[in-house]
Amino acid sequence: MITAQALYIGFFGLASVWFGIVVFRTFSMVRSALALLFSQTALGAMFLSMQAEFLGVLQIMMMATEMSIMAIFMVMFMMDPGGLGKMDMTHQKRLSLVAGIVSFVAAVAVAVFVDWGPVASVAPDAEQQVVDLGLELLGRSMLIFETAGITILTAMIAATAVAIPPVKRNPLKGTANHEH
Amino acid sequence: MIIGARPGKPSKLRRLIAAAMARDLTTFIIPGPEIVRSYGLDIDATGLKPVASPRHASVLLVAGVTSSALRDAAAVIYAQMMRPRALFALGAGELSPLPPADVIAGLSQQGLIQGVRQLRDAFAEGAFRPDVSDFDAPILHVRIEYTCPMHPEVVQNAPGACPKCGMNLVPREVQADSEYLHTAQHKAGSSTDIPLTPRPGQSDHHGINHDAAVEYTCPMHPEVIQSEPGSCPKCGMYLVPRDAQVESSHDHHDHAHSQEHEHHKMDHDAAIEYTCPMHPEVIQSEPGSCPKCGMNLEPRKTQDIQTHEHADMDSATDHGSMDHSGMDHGDMVFMSMVDVTKDLPRSSDGLPMEWIDAPFGPFFPGLPGGLLLTLTLDGDTVAGSDARPLTDNLDLSQHPPTDSTSFVRQLAGMDPLAPVAYRLLAYRALENAAGLDVPAGTAAARIGAMERERITSHLGWLSLFGQQSGFNWLMQHAASLQLAFLHADVTQAMALKPVMQALIKRLQRTPLLKSRTAGIGRLTADTALRGPVARASGVNNDARSTETACTTLGFTPVSREGGDALARLHVHLDEISHSLVLIEAAGAIELPVLADIGDVSGAGETMVETPRGMARLQLTLERGQVIAAQLETPSTHHITLIDSLTEQQSLGDALMAVGSLDLSPWEVRQ
Amino acid sequence: MTTAFLLLLLAVGAYLVAVIEAWTSSGRFRLAAPAFAALALLGRESIVPRKSDRVFFETAPVLLLISALLAAAVIPLTPDLIITDLATGALFINAALVYVLVALLMAGWGPNGAYAMVGGWRFLGQLIAYAMLIVMPITAVVMRAESLLTTQIVVSQAGLWNIVYQPLGFILFFVASMALAFLPPFDLTTAKGELAGGVEAEYSGARLAVFRLGRLVLIITLAAATVVFYLGGWQGPWLPPWAWSAIKILAVTATMLLAGRYMPRIRETDLLGWCWMLGIPLALLNILLVGVLVLVLP
Repeated sequence: MITAQALYIGFFGLASVWFGIVVFRTFSMVRSALALLFSQTALGAMFLSMQAEFLGVLQIMMMATEMSIMAIFMVMFMMDPGGLGKMDMTHQKRLSLVAGIVSFVAAVAVAVFVDWGPVASVAPDAEQQVVDLGLELLGRSMLIFETAGITILTAMIAATAVAIPPVKRNPLKGTANHEH
Repeated sequence: MIIGARPGKPSKLRRLIAAAMARDLTTFIIPGPEIVRSYGLDIDATGLKPVASPRHASVLLVAGVTSSALRDAAAVIYAQMMRPRALFALGAGELSPLPPADVIAGLSQQGLIQGVRQLRDAFAEGAFRPDVSDFDAPILHVRIEYTCPMHPEVVQNAPGACPKCGMNLVPREVQADSEYLHTAQHKAGSSTDIPLTPRPGQSDHHGINHDAAVEYTCPMHPEVIQSEPGSCPKCGMYLVPRDAQVESSHDHHDHAHSQEHEHHKMDHDAAIEYTCPMHPEVIQSEPGSCPKCGMNLEPRKTQDIQTHEHADMDSATDHGSMDHSGMDHGDMVFMSMVDVTKDLPRSSDGLPMEWIDAPFGPFFPGLPGGLLLTLTLDGDTVAGSDARPLTDNLDLSQHPPTDSTSFVRQLAGMDPLAPVAYRLLAYRALENAAGLDVPAGTAAARIGAMERERITSHLGWLSLFGQQSGFNWLMQHAASLQLAFLHADVTQAMALKPVMQALIKRLQRTPLLKSRTAGIGRLTADTALRGPVARASGVNNDARSTETACTTLGFTPVSREGGDALARLHVHLDEISHSLVLIEAAGAIELPVLADIGDVSGAGETMVETPRGMARLQLTLERGQVIAAQLETPSTHHITLIDSLTEQQSLGDALMAVGSLDLSPWEVRQ
Repeated sequence: MTTAFLLLLLAVGAYLVAVIEAWTSSGRFRLAAPAFAALALLGRESIVPRKSDRVFFETAPVLLLISALLAAAVIPLTPDLIITDLATGALFINAALVYVLVALLMAGWGPNGAYAMVGGWRFLGQLIAYAMLIVMPITAVVMRAESLLTTQIVVSQAGLWNIVYQPLGFILFFVASMALAFLPPFDLTTAKGELAGGVEAEYSGARLAVFRLGRLVLIITLAAATVVFYLGGWQGPWLPPWAWSAIKILAVTATMLLAGRYMPRIRETDLLGWCWMLGIPLALLNILLVGVLVLVLP
């Protein structure tokens, strides 16, 4: 039986996949970045239809900022951000294809073979979910999340440090200068 | 009826909308609000709403006689406005290439008020018309040329593929006759879809600023040639630029394919290469001069740097599987942003971005009207600038000789922002040449008039400062004070004193004002500086110090340290206070007519401290006629400072620096 | 029914914001002016600049309006007058408001012009800085209410409004809201004297009308959010709840709009610097203080 919920999930799932395809079908870097954003937003909407309200809203919120930042970097560093030269967005096709298939199979394998425990007949209401999530984050999963948080922070600091240009970056220049 | 009506049959709904439009007239002011106020026009009082973008304006207001370059720019603005749009000329004379004005009025407040009333009627009745002809002007004509997004040096007249990388060329518009006017890079027609500014990342590719065709090659693998900077797919070394040879750019495709079979077929002819002593990255196989600095290249052996050979040849393992159909850059295998952008010019923030030219002016809100400032933007940072006045340059060569009255009229009409100062300058030079003495009473009255003009001019600048920095209260308050002072006599001026002092006090307490201006546009003390700009840098340079008439009234030059926009703001405020004191001491504000200088011959030289600084005039009289004259004005030097003041500043700071110079494009001598 | 009624209220509110904004910028209080302005805008031609990114250009004004409306959906005017009392309301406001950024990004990139472009990127650069100043104070508010429900947040302030309980958070949220609605002195995105209208510069006619409507709704939504989070929402003596909500919201709106009239626009570098180096540490301190208070006070 097809319920409204299943319809929504299907719809947003397809939308997500479609926007994912658009990422590579467009020539414009900015469109590409925002297509990725809407793909992720559709994913968030899928969570919402699955009654995972907090997760959905969080996904929708976080992705907007992240993808916008990506867009700005695209425009800053790409020579042709408007896609006027009709540059192909795909490269390293074989590698990507292999990587894509492998990760898809892995994800499916995880979904199928992991023991997810007993299926809840009714999802707890959204308020209860928030409470449960909070307790979970400060309980069993605390270490995982704190580790992840610290790792991300470290990565951010490291990335900033790396971004500061080194004094000498061109090896050729160095040799040549030495010579003269 | 208005010429720029929106096409459409009048219906009931449209009549209602037209009535609403008549109540809500927005205007774009040419040449600029501060100039229109110096004519004594109070736009605010008529209910016209000034707007910042031509797209949002329904009325184009042209006040005073404008130069042909300004009219061309105005035609572009008119074309950018949305229909229904009306042209309102206030004492504007010749308007072409603009269409005939819908409403014409004299250059007076009376004319303005009546004109606005007529405009409202015209909108209410004729905002929509079924038969509307399109607006067209030569300045709006463009031709399409095609260029490669990656190789800005590739420009063709027909579409096609880039000979260097095979990408599709993209069209861009350039003005049909290659005039410099940047505002007119927009295309036109009546369809009014002309962009306000050229497309970022599209029409103006300054990303790679090579004049000549340059291609990139690997020092180790001469067979690797690509049109992009980047790293060698074989060894990962940085590619070095060299001048492209015509053949090599054609068979680029082959190179990409045959690379793998040519691993060891290298450097047969590269035993000696030539490099620039200053730019080691310049390497060519033939002697010549450096494309960067023009020095002769020096020969050297390639062996010197071959130690890196084959360092990491495997970086191109995936090369074979790469799809060559779309394009075949050697370095597209691993597209490293660091490599792609490493040769781009960097701004102070270190981020290489595509450069775009954006016009600011000649009617940009917040900059002096008539000044065309073109900024090359690197993101939000200014990478380069070009400033030029589009106003007419007054010809002072005097052929044939002019009599003194018309000479004075010419000079007084030159700069709408300082008519009194230049009139006085002409008076003084003529008197000096004729050997006339000025009675003390006249001299004091003249000082009164000069100081009143200084106050109005400084208030106009303050209003512009408020407009640019989004300080609405200051913009409005200074503007209304400017109008109040414009024709004030001594008693009226004294009555305005407390208001003026309150304004100054308020500015001292304004939050964010200091952080907005401190350290911006810093100028070190330099004797070439003039007026408030000089005095803000601690240079005590004021022509009034040398005038006994001034010093007897108690004049002491104002001076501040710092040389930044904040110091200039303070100097302007201090001078307003001091001018009020001088007006009070002078006791009269009058610019008496010039006495008959008679049939004399001689040479005269004089200077006047105009609101913007000292102006100097030399003239030669022959039998009462001016036969030669030479004029030096403060803005002529100040406009040349823009380049260094804006360089590597963020956009807001750069505009603030330009604004703080208090330029008058009208007095710039070209 | 409630939804329709609230949308109507929102429209009235947006209209009042327009009146107040015209008043603060021109000094004249004219009740009919926004109606004329809106009609005039609708009657004017509205074009898409050539060579623009049409999809973005068209979407941006609508997206701005929608995100402001979505944020408004979880704001209670009285205990019952709320479109949807989401269990994640406080988070949802954030999620909706972030799409203001996406809309402005599109509006900046779409129309093919340097002014708009710089305006759009400026907004993006800033929002990363002050989005934190919206999220973190809300976090502290939520900590006190022990719920993400916006109605629960109002109820939690029954004894003491949050403006007194966590004044630091209020100041940060208020300033960040002004920046989010690009109100002067934070109007770097539309900067009239710098960018000739910035992201708005290329919009005209009906599209501009939608864009401006979106911004008006955004302003009133942010004012309402400030009232809900810090000023006790509908609570107050003597008057009925809806009246308190209306009075507070309009007062906050007027304060937001008036502040910018008397100071110059902030420098972009200053805004970024203060947000990152002063605002975020203060927001963290606020969370810490509220955390201690929540534990210490009964």
